[in-house]
Amino acid sequence: MMNEILRAKNVFSGYTDLNILEGVSIEVEREEIVSIIGPNGAGKSTLLKTIFGLLETRKGKIYLRNEEISNLKPNEIVKKGMGYVPQSKNIFPSLTVEENLEMGSYIDESGFEESKQEVLSIFPDLKDKVSAKTGDLSGGQQQMVAMGRALILDPDVILLDEPSAGLSPELVNVVFEKIKEINKAGMSILVVEQNARKILKVCDRGYVLEMGENRLKGTGKELLNNKKVEELYLGG
Amino acid sequence: MLQLILNGLITGSIIALGAIGLSMIYDILGLVNFAHGDFMTFGGYLTFFISLTFLRPISFIPLTYDLLLSAILAIIGVGLFSILLDKIIWKKLRKKGAGTVTLLITAIGIALALRNGIVFIWGSGTISLGIPISQAIEIFGLKITFFEIISILVAITLMLLLDFLLKNTKIGKAMRALSDNQSLASITGINVDKIISYTWFLGGAYAATGGILYGLITSFRPDMGWILLLPIFAAVILGSIGNVYGAMVGGLIIGLAQETSLVFIGSRYKIAVSFLLLIIVLLVKPEGIFGGK
Amino acid sequence: MILPSLVNYFIYIGIIIGIYGLFALGLNLEWGFTGILNFGHVAFMGIAAYTMAILNIAGLNLFISIIIGIALSIVAGVLIGAPTLKLRGDYLAIVTIAFSEIIRYFYINEGWLTGGAGGLSNFNQLLGFLPSQYKQIGFLIVTLALLGIVYVFLEKLINSPWGRVLKSIREDEEVSKALGKNIYKYKIQSLAIGSGIAGIAGILQAFNNYLVLPSSYKPLITFYAWIIVVLGGSANNKGSLVGAIIFVAFFESTRFLPLGDVRVGSLRMIIIGLLLILLMLFRPQGILGNKEELKLDI
Repeated sequence: MMNEILRAKNVFSGYTDLNILEGVSIEVEREEIVSIIGPNGAGKSTLLKTIFGLLETRKGKIYLRNEEISNLKPNEIVKKGMGYVPQSKNIFPSLTVEENLEMGSYIDESGFEESKQEVLSIFPDLKDKVSAKTGDLSGGQQQMVAMGRALILDPDVILLDEPSAGLSPELVNVVFEKIKEINKAGMSILVVEQNARKILKVCDRGYVLEMGENRLKGTGKELLNNKKVEELYLGG
Repeated sequence: MLQLILNGLITGSIIALGAIGLSMIYDILGLVNFAHGDFMTFGGYLTFFISLTFLRPISFIPLTYDLLLSAILAIIGVGLFSILLDKIIWKKLRKKGAGTVTLLITAIGIALALRNGIVFIWGSGTISLGIPISQAIEIFGLKITFFEIISILVAITLMLLLDFLLKNTKIGKAMRALSDNQSLASITGINVDKIISYTWFLGGAYAATGGILYGLITSFRPDMGWILLLPIFAAVILGSIGNVYGAMVGGLIIGLAQETSLVFIGSRYKIAVSFLLLIIVLLVKPEGIFGGK
Repeated sequence: MILPSLVNYFIYIGIIIGIYGLFALGLNLEWGFTGILNFGHVAFMGIAAYTMAILNIAGLNLFISIIIGIALSIVAGVLIGAPTLKLRGDYLAIVTIAFSEIIRYFYINEGWLTGGAGGLSNFNQLLGFLPSQYKQIGFLIVTLALLGIVYVFLEKLINSPWGRVLKSIREDEEVSKALGKNIYKYKIQSLAIGSGIAGIAGILQAFNNYLVLPSSYKPLITFYAWIIVVLGGSANNKGSLVGAIIFVAFFESTRFLPLGDVRVGSLRMIIIGLLLILLMLFRPQGILGNKEELKLDI
């Protein structure tokens, strides 16, 4: 069972002197999709940023494959095999799709051509757009470029911050399908979502955060059927 | 009129060389580098210094090679000097999250110290590289001197080189990525500080090249770069800040506007023409003719 | 004989401090209290001085010429501010410096009106009626009196309801917009008043030099005002005065270095340049400034 890949233990963090996260703990196991849901301001995105080294871990510890990574710099964390897709501004608009993917492999160019082909096979929509300026693509395609960029180094874990934000309902389904597909290829995924109902159907397990603290956890199904979750986040 | 257009292209080439670096630095660092013109002057004076101090005494080097070698060393020197300033000043201000005014005042401080350092060492008058004045040759009735031809050729070559770097090299692509989205660049593992250093090197080297060429076709004076600074700002804003191709085109337009204005308003307001153009662009279309990103 | 000349020298220094103090107070209202990046401040000094000189030489009463000169500086402030104050801060800096240079080229080129590069000197003296031995001390008194009046006026102004709006603009442009205050209008008013104060400084300088010259209105003079304001501390009138005293004292104390004019001049500017860099790195709020205010750098 102890097949854990990512673990945050009692993490405190925030932007100003004030803590947003006040002792959050989560675990992700190999080949698992884990979701984090909760109201606005609960600290969901803050948690991803802290794990990825964009914010300081003030208290608590973060481990990747049992190796402590708390407070490492993002580029060191990338090298250790983690990818991160921010919620907005997650592409380089004036670069072509291919160049965006290239930036994803900036720290290790070897095997770029091969991984580019793999990424394009996951996102076939992008195949005839490799030379297009990414800023000219549709929102859904841009989201795919962003995910592709994070996948190019074939990380063990990938952090997704609201991948469905700003997309039309059909596109949301496509993106969620892609998340499942990436996961089937053997990647662990930690995803923050507003769209609780959809993500809980897709994920293996989920955490509910509130006010910077853990509130509930369970399998996707358990949370979907939980009265309180239904009341608060699934629109009753 | 054709002669004026030719003169405009010559001036424009030099303004463009200055504008490229200013635009890249403004774009990536949010810094209006008031010292950029003085980097140009520094390039000219460094050439003078290297040539007269180190190369002239070696009498067997022909003057042309002496000049070329000094210029190349000076261009690299100003590039390295720009990196040095980044390491000891700009990087610290960046980490502190300094605002527009702090950056602006610091740039003015560097400009004053650099320009007056040049005056302190070499005096406030013009200096001479001891090159015989090149006679203008006539092509199709248009007069042009040797160094003017060189200026246009060097400017075109450097613009093509920059285009190649930005589109085909890893560093060039990372520069564009940084200009697009700095925080994403650091997330993807791009070493932001290193790319900023390369940008400073390029900006400084291009400025120095422009300064050396400008000195060769006019004269080397301590305020030569400062005088070019506002036309360069005009070129950068006209061509849309951060757009290096815009900066090139903007430089040519400003050069042409300045020289051809002679026909309409005489030589007295030649420089003021670019200022006026600058003000008009900022009021009418502040994002420049090539638009924002 | 050494004593009277020493006294005269200190009177002269006092006058220079007064003129630079006024000039800096005007900029401090614009930048320090309103966040306007005016890099063409010197233009408004020149407009008042040239207007006064031209009108007086043409035969107009000196006092009326002075009033019109200052009024024109204020009008110029409004005319320049109206189209530009909506621009981004750094763009505004570039536009205003370009404006001040265009004005200077005008002085140089329109010799029929402005005397060209040689400037104008045939205007009446402010204290022409005084016996010559009292002229300097009289001028010092006038200068310091004007400085005092402007200082008190500004202190009252920034503590008035008008000044409190400026403070709220500075602290959060969005909030005061939401409150329905027309920020743009306040910025124009601030620029107009600041330009008027620069105009007063310009007129005093013209009388002090017996001359108006295009080269007195170079961008470097605007930078001097910035140095004074930043050194003393932005958004602090007392700071501007302290800055002016230090700046002038530094200038004068280096005058006697045995290096020759060109070298002394350049060495001075090297030191000022390095000082600005160090100030920005280690104490960006200046001597008397408040660090919290500077955080709101626009």
